[in-house]
Amino acid sequence: MIHADVEEVLLSGDEVQARVAELGAQLAADYDGRDPVLVSVLKGSIIFLADLVRAMPIPLSIDLMEVSSYGSSTESSGQVRILKDLSTPIEGREVIVVEDIIDTGLTLNYLLRYLHDKGPASIRICCLLDKPARRLAPIEIDYRGFTIADRFVIGYGLDYAERYRNLPYIGVLRPSVYSAVAPD
Amino acid sequence: MEATLTTSSPRFAHQSEAELARILDFYGVAWRYEPDLFPISWNADGMVVESFAPDFYLPEIGIYLELTTLKQTLVRKKNRKLRWLRQLYPEVRVKLFYARDFRALMVKYGRLDFLADVAAMNGNGPLNGR
Repeated sequence: MIHADVEEVLLSGDEVQARVAELGAQLAADYDGRDPVLVSVLKGSIIFLADLVRAMPIPLSIDLMEVSSYGSSTESSGQVRILKDLSTPIEGREVIVVEDIIDTGLTLNYLLRYLHDKGPASIRICCLLDKPARRLAPIEIDYRGFTIADRFVIGYGLDYAERYRNLPYIGVLRPSVYSAVAPD
Repeated sequence: MEATLTTSSPRFAHQSEAELARILDFYGVAWRYEPDLFPISWNADGMVVESFAPDFYLPEIGIYLELTTLKQTLVRKKNRKLRWLRQLYPEVRVKLFYARDFRALMVKYGRLDFLADVAAMNGNGPLNGR
């Protein structure tokens, strides 16, 4: 059943699951015997991470980070902050950053600089959705689920105003949902 | 980790430029406002008659940004200038941010109040035109 606020299903649950399984198999082959640590960014990536690691039958560990986003900053001229840091050191480890979507690349650009300073052996990027239309910071994506057009997408962890994360598919949010809360 | 931030506060031509500068500052991306002027056409005497100064330069990334949040006629003019710039200076990387891109960015960051303010100032239509 399609949610009433969804204009169009961009990627069905089956399509997402099939691609996640492929990515997991590819990562498992590439990282077999290397004991990688998958670092994911809260909150949007958790569902992707959960499915991805279950498609990787190799020894691995996971860690979670959370960074403040621009819109949530209450200060007029704030700076991005680490709200939740890594639980374990990554020095000398093979790191895979798992992202739900890469849009402007600004958050990931910041995160990569932060992680590089921790001295990992390597860092590679796995993202489910690549939306390159508004990319500001160049990001080299090593494992990509889908490249999508410039649409406002929700579901499978992706939210608008903290809602819709639990949809099993990737949908395009009806513009009326967010234009309704802003006056003409 | 150290971020290189622009400390001076230039006089921006438009609110959207100031907002983008705040976003770049937030994420620790260094920027300069209209740092370079590129001549794009000359008269018969070799005098420069038209130039293009992209709004931002991001030195760590090596890319210029141009925001277009104004009237469609100005968008066409900017598109034409950008075509000339790319032909004359193929090594220069410029990314054009259209009004819809900026609106989408504001929606993503939950800055609907900012969009409403800008729309009111410009006498523009609704937030979402896509």
